[in-house]
Amino acid sequence: MTTLPTPSTPHVDPGRVQSGGLAEAARAFLAAVRLGWATEANWTDPFLFFVYSVAKPVSAALILVVMIEIVGGASGRELRPYVVAGSALWSFVVAGIAGLAWSVLDDRERYRMLRYLYVSPPSFVLLLVGRGTARLAVGAMGAAITLGIGVVLLGVPVDPARIDWPLLGVAMVGGLAVIVVLGILLAAVCLQTRQDSWSYPEAVAGSLFLVSGAVFPLAVLPPPIQLVGLATPLTWWLAGVRLALFPDGPTAVGGPNSAWSVLAGTPAPAGPEIIAALLMTGALATLAAAVVFRWSEHRARERGLIDQTSGS
Amino acid sequence: MSSGTGTDTARLGPRGRVWVGRPSAGPREAAAWSRRQQLLTELRAIRGRAYPRIRGLFREKSWLFFEILLPFLSTSAFVFVYRALAAPAEYVGFVVLGGAMTAFWLNVIWMMAAQLHWEKDQGNLELYFAAPMNLMSVLLGMAVGGLVMSGARAVAVLAVATTLYGVTFSVESWLLLLVVFALTLAALYGLGMVLASLFLMWGREAWHLTQLLTEPIYFVSGLNFPVGRLGLLGALAIATIPLAVGLDAMRQLAFRGAPSFGTPQPEIEALILVGMTVVFLAAARLALRILEGLARREGRLTVRWR
Repeated sequence: MTTLPTPSTPHVDPGRVQSGGLAEAARAFLAAVRLGWATEANWTDPFLFFVYSVAKPVSAALILVVMIEIVGGASGRELRPYVVAGSALWSFVVAGIAGLAWSVLDDRERYRMLRYLYVSPPSFVLLLVGRGTARLAVGAMGAAITLGIGVVLLGVPVDPARIDWPLLGVAMVGGLAVIVVLGILLAAVCLQTRQDSWSYPEAVAGSLFLVSGAVFPLAVLPPPIQLVGLATPLTWWLAGVRLALFPDGPTAVGGPNSAWSVLAGTPAPAGPEIIAALLMTGALATLAAAVVFRWSEHRARERGLIDQTSGS
Repeated sequence: MSSGTGTDTARLGPRGRVWVGRPSAGPREAAAWSRRQQLLTELRAIRGRAYPRIRGLFREKSWLFFEILLPFLSTSAFVFVYRALAAPAEYVGFVVLGGAMTAFWLNVIWMMAAQLHWEKDQGNLELYFAAPMNLMSVLLGMAVGGLVMSGARAVAVLAVATTLYGVTFSVESWLLLLVVFALTLAALYGLGMVLASLFLMWGREAWHLTQLLTEPIYFVSGLNFPVGRLGLLGALAIATIPLAVGLDAMRQLAFRGAPSFGTPQPEIEALILVGMTVVFLAAARLALRILEGLARREGRLTVRWR
């Protein structure tokens, strides 16, 4: 009987277990984006997919436009750019939050691949963000077309020469980062919940709709809820984009008797104040998302939730 | 010991008789169920499919937050839009009523229309086809289970929003209002049954269709405003979408004197809902029969993830 020789050193290729750093992370992210796109869209009829993607945000904007038209008539039309821009941008929020949360539900409940993705070498969060990016891109398309329809058909006055491009750029980058952070937060929630959580992203987005000044100025809300709105990074993202697009338009944050004007002593925040507030509230949201996601991941591993299916 | 008929329930009893819950002379007789047996089996199927939905509500409480509190906040956003515009009080009532009814619509599209497609992905659909019951019972069970959850959400949104925003109802006829409400639910869930079959045939597009059936339907149904304001589009919605006609009738009955912009009287809209219920249930039955035929003939319907 022959005995196998005991290796003096373990036969492990160090290159395989060490992280490849940024290049490997970028490769994993791109693979996750491609996977997300393949799951979401590349198999469907392009025309139908376009209709699906655009009908939702356009209809959301039209609901508000009709509401304004019925009650406000001609005098309410000055609110139209405010409402159209708000509901167009909101399609980023719905798509971004849903993209990450649904990727957990999709891969766990439908395709049953979450367990394999989880044990694969790249970071789990990175994979989720990559999966959600495809849906965020669809949301961006919906937002652009809603805004386009607003400009062409609904008389929304967007003048490229008057747009504050630096403010728009910074606000958009910060806002998209915040949306991804909120998506991670909800993905952490969906790791813990049942299959019925498909509607949760819409519910969360709907509740943020109330406090973010998306379609009406915060000053309409009771003061305590205005303070909640001021602590929400999406409020500052929307305010920044609106100020960049419509410098003379109504403000979402300020206004007579608003919490902002009482606290800050100015009628409305200027661009730098908006960006500073976006960064501060965004940093807090990121911290909260990191803590909640780590806790959720730990609990999911402990209770075997990562490969659990919960059909109802 | 198996009787050799291929059924699990048929067993040889004393003196070679076949048992299916009762002694019978042979497999053929065992397969010939009485009306009572059929009815009891269908009722058990309804209860069995409703059970996980109702029981699940008590096992995991997160839905109370996500399905009741958050949708209430979403409804509140539209209330504040009207407040920002200084709209008449009944418009706030329109939003509250619409917000309550969205619970049922979302339930119909997420937990009825898309459900058979998901059951296929989970591997349950083939069991449904093989089980000795009508698929309509499974769909009815889903509807009953879903109604409990969405009913709770609708009542909560209606009660809290009415109290908080001071909505005053001026009901013309409580009886007709309740009848219209019941007919709206019947037509909605009938439509859900039809969509369940269609979504199953359309496969993965079902996923996108659920998206298409939210905001666009809210818009054409006049969720937050009188649907008559949409003119021809509103008239088409009243003729085809139960949510549109039900909401319009309920608004006319709950807010006497509110503008209706030329839509039919509630009694006529109740008749439209009756017609819709009958048509949708018949269409659902037909679609399920076609589906069952396809499932047996082509075997495609049990192939997952397509």
